[in-house]
Amino acid sequence: MALLEATGIGKNFGSTHVLKDISLSLEKGEALAIIGSSGSGKTTLLRCLNFLETPDTGRIVVDGKTLWDAADPQTHKESEKRKKRLHFGLVFQNFNLFPQYTALENVMLAGELLAKERPDYKANRRKIHDELESKARGLLEQMGLSDRAGHYPHQLSGGQQQRVAIARALALEPDILCFDEPTSALDPELTGEVLRVLRELAAKKTTMIIVTHEMAFARDVADRILFMDGGVVVEEGPAYQVIDHPREERTRRFLAHYNT
Amino acid sequence: MSEALVIWGRLTESFWLNTQLFLLTLAFALPLGLVVAFGSMSRFAPLRGVVRTFVWVIRGTPLMLQIIVIYLGPGLMGWGTPWPSGSFGRLWAAVVAFVINYACYFSEIYRGGIEAVPKGQTEAGQVLGMTRPQIFFRVTLLQVIKRILPPMGNEVITLVKDTALANVISNKEIIMMAKEYSAKGLIWPLFSTAIFFLVFVGVLTLVFGALEKKLDYFK
Repeated sequence: MALLEATGIGKNFGSTHVLKDISLSLEKGEALAIIGSSGSGKTTLLRCLNFLETPDTGRIVVDGKTLWDAADPQTHKESEKRKKRLHFGLVFQNFNLFPQYTALENVMLAGELLAKERPDYKANRRKIHDELESKARGLLEQMGLSDRAGHYPHQLSGGQQQRVAIARALALEPDILCFDEPTSALDPELTGEVLRVLRELAAKKTTMIIVTHEMAFARDVADRILFMDGGVVVEEGPAYQVIDHPREERTRRFLAHYNT
Repeated sequence: MSEALVIWGRLTESFWLNTQLFLLTLAFALPLGLVVAFGSMSRFAPLRGVVRTFVWVIRGTPLMLQIIVIYLGPGLMGWGTPWPSGSFGRLWAAVVAFVINYACYFSEIYRGGIEAVPKGQTEAGQVLGMTRPQIFFRVTLLQVIKRILPPMGNEVITLVKDTALANVISNKEIIMMAKEYSAKGLIWPLFSTAIFFLVFVGVLTLVFGALEKKLDYFK
């Protein structure tokens, strides 16, 4: 059974149908790239999976557990949304690091707040903190940022900020890590360092959904690619096939804009 | 010479009333302003409407008039005055008027500061599983404080000088005290009151400058 099963996802903003009956599934350890022009609904889809938007129709099932069913109000409770979100991680286009915290504090903050909800927190405060810190330092090292742990976001380049943001998302060990155009705010040089990190994550079989405009990267790194246009999935298949041998005319027209 | 000393002493004494009014107003209006700000940003439209109308009325009428209405209004309406008699009652009536007035001004500063924090900050907190209060206190608040310090400094400095308005209900603050001397033909005490305000505002300017500098470590 797939780790993620999203079926019939629909989302309207007023009378605009941004998502129409989107379905996708994702196996554990799989990397899925979503491509498509701006306004095709890619970002909204990711935001629905992270419950930043609530889908008007459809179901989201993770690991056999129904997190959202538009037809079942039982799954809509605001109080449970927070826990459900933890199945997903989201890395934003413009990083959204917390400016008043260092790189290390950014990575640790959410974990520490969650640890406070554990009944044994008070007794093991020191130990929990040390564990979280060594884990966070490990993640920053993995991102090639060991020497930047004490830097504030404004002291880091865009590429470094995005890598801190990736470490921050990884720290909570989400089942599925989502990336919303993670390199769109970066120049080509900095794009390279972020894509390198994503390649490493894919090599480690991190379950990922990546919304991207980097076609060459998507073909190399993703197992599957999903092409969206006008709020529907136009084409879906193995990465090399969708990029090199698209079946649909709309996919071909879209890819013609890129020199892959 | 000794008479001048006595006058300086009287002025200093009466300036204590300005200082009390200043401190009490800040102590109550700073938190109340945040409550008003949340009201004016509420997703519940009727509440938002009521709060915004109230803020409009308070910001749209003179503070001097508000002080008079709050002190004399209840009695004139035949409800009986809620204020204790004497100088204590007059001070508290002034405090209440100042708190309401400044809470409304502060609320607009808070609102501007809160709305200026990018939505992405809240969303980043949400996807990291934080609760709404955690997001407000751990993520948003310090960024709001950094943004509102300059306009707050401005407003607080205005408050120092506005405390003189309390004399409209016979609170014997420094200007009123000095005017008693000018009525007797001695004009220098009135002019000298400026020094008290200047020193007070000077200290506040330094304090706000230091606070802004303290929050300079992030952008």
